[in-house]
Amino acid sequence: MKIGFYDEFRPCVVKENGVVDLSEIVSHLQISSPQILMQRIIVNFGDLQQEIQKISDQGTTIPLDQVRLRPPLPRPGKILAGQGNYMEGVKIEPARPLQSFFKSPEAIIGPGDTITLPAFRPTIFNHEAELAVVIGKEANKIQEHEALDHVFGYTTGVDVSARAPEEGEADLPGTVDAHYGKSFDTFLPIGPAITTADEIENPNNLQIQYWVNGELRQNYNTNDMEHSIAYTIATLSHVMTLKPGDLLIGGTNHSHLGPLQDGDTTTIEIESIGRTTNHVEDALKRSWDPHDLRQPEVLTARRESMKDQPNAGTWPFNAVGGDRV
Amino acid sequence: MKIGFYNNFIPCLITTDGVIDISDIVANINEGEPQLLMERLISSFDSLRPSLETAVSNSQATPLDQVQLRAPLPRPGKVLCGNTNYKEYVPIDPPRPLRTFFKSPDAVIGPGDTISLPKFRPTIFNHEAELAIVIGKQAKNLQEDQALGHVFGYTTGVDVSARAPEDGEAGLPGGYGKSFDTFLPIGPAITTADEISNPNNLQVRYWVNGELRQDYNTDDMEHSVAYTIAALSHVMTLMPGDLILAGTNHSHLGPLQDGDFAEIEIESIGRNGNHVQDSLKRSWDPHDLRQPEVLVARREAQKTQPNTGTWPFQKFGGES
Repeated sequence: MKIGFYDEFRPCVVKENGVVDLSEIVSHLQISSPQILMQRIIVNFGDLQQEIQKISDQGTTIPLDQVRLRPPLPRPGKILAGQGNYMEGVKIEPARPLQSFFKSPEAIIGPGDTITLPAFRPTIFNHEAELAVVIGKEANKIQEHEALDHVFGYTTGVDVSARAPEEGEADLPGTVDAHYGKSFDTFLPIGPAITTADEIENPNNLQIQYWVNGELRQNYNTNDMEHSIAYTIATLSHVMTLKPGDLLIGGTNHSHLGPLQDGDTTTIEIESIGRTTNHVEDALKRSWDPHDLRQPEVLTARRESMKDQPNAGTWPFNAVGGDRV
Repeated sequence: MKIGFYNNFIPCLITTDGVIDISDIVANINEGEPQLLMERLISSFDSLRPSLETAVSNSQATPLDQVQLRAPLPRPGKVLCGNTNYKEYVPIDPPRPLRTFFKSPDAVIGPGDTISLPKFRPTIFNHEAELAIVIGKQAKNLQEDQALGHVFGYTTGVDVSARAPEDGEAGLPGGYGKSFDTFLPIGPAITTADEISNPNNLQVRYWVNGELRQDYNTDDMEHSVAYTIAALSHVMTLMPGDLILAGTNHSHLGPLQDGDFAEIEIESIGRNGNHVQDSLKRSWDPHDLRQPEVLVARREAQKTQPNTGTWPFQKFGGES
């Protein structure tokens, strides 16, 4: 089942040919904030599921071209994003430490919305097409084998990224770890809806594709993740409690990353999850070569060089001298 | 005016006599989510203010020792924290770039709550007593002179910090040593901005088990509260109920450990105490505090580091 919002954040089921309104079915949840409404739908999904299925089968379907789909999580409590989390052709053993960072909840936009490039001058603005994971049950200090039980569903996410400033330019008001180049408003398109976890047999076997102006750029499978979705969730849950409606994005395979620039139309698609299109706007009309994409051999060289770097593992699961949990 | 929550997140005003329940006054904006309620109270404060003032003069206060105060912002939409934002005896001109980071909103705890140290083994767990700023109006692409007009009020915050792992220990999955659950005590309430004539002239004090440790003034900030808000607003829209921690002066930072009772006080804002619990019962010397001369040396070294300024306000070749 695919759950989302349309028009003025009315809750809905998203089907192949349209949406079915869920406002009445969830009216007892009594909340006007769309984010908290979705959190309550998630928490109460066990009780709601049958009724939602029934109305989805029998209710009035409004064709997709007559509605505007909205981000299924308009302002997540936390957004945790994976960094450098793909093997990209070079397996390293033991695995490199898991790297993750916060992204601003105000970065969220929905289907058809516009990515607005700021006046900040980075070397480039890149797309990073990613699998996005929606937490379903509070997760506090869980083990890897329990982790997927805490997932409500999946959606697509694009971790739009302003890289380091151009030479001589001032830097952003963030620390190195804070990655504020990824936290500008509009820098996280998600959608079109949340596909419930029962429809995804294995989140680490999904093909992700990303097009800019109809030309395919990223095209990779989540089976190349260095740290699986389950491991990532379990590890993060030992630092901070993950809550229903929190969003994790799984990192990207950097092959064929390219620029985003004024006038671009972009599409992400993940199998079994769906397809979302966005536009790009840049008041400064900067331009980059759209065919100058990140090449696999550059990534391979980077990964090869990581083999020699110190690696003390990731707390709490791979400590030197054994597990700590 | 001081606004907060008590007991089961009942909204209240806090006066010298105790708390005054304001549930009735905010009933039409209350949907049972404390964070959302406080955001709405902040957004509609101008229209609510007369009723709140009437409540102060007409209602019976419940003494503080009969209630449990709660975190005035239970789960902020964003928590943005200053990193090394104090001059610590060494002014640098032009100032170093502003540096901030995200902290988990689930780190928030309230008055009397317990800071729970995780099993992660850092070299030390430190307290960082800080001024905390509550955003009042949506702020995007502000200039510095507009920034304080977007502040709703102030509270205290302790940026509890697990430092780098002990030698040989695995690291955290991110710069997350400050984002463990319970690592952000705030409170006792939000003091509205009209009661603070200058947020960059407030004394911040921090005691552990009754012994004074941190004792500094916010006039030593390298980047003022106004500058920080304005700069951040060019990256991400700040929303009502978002929380900004201004960074700390590192003089006399020390360990937090099992059994400690720690208190922060900021003048005109209030005092807030928390307990510390560590199931591993690790211990550090409570008198081994960060000494000013170490900080001076660090700042002196920073003078020679490359400095391209902070976007969008300072860069080589002039203002942006």
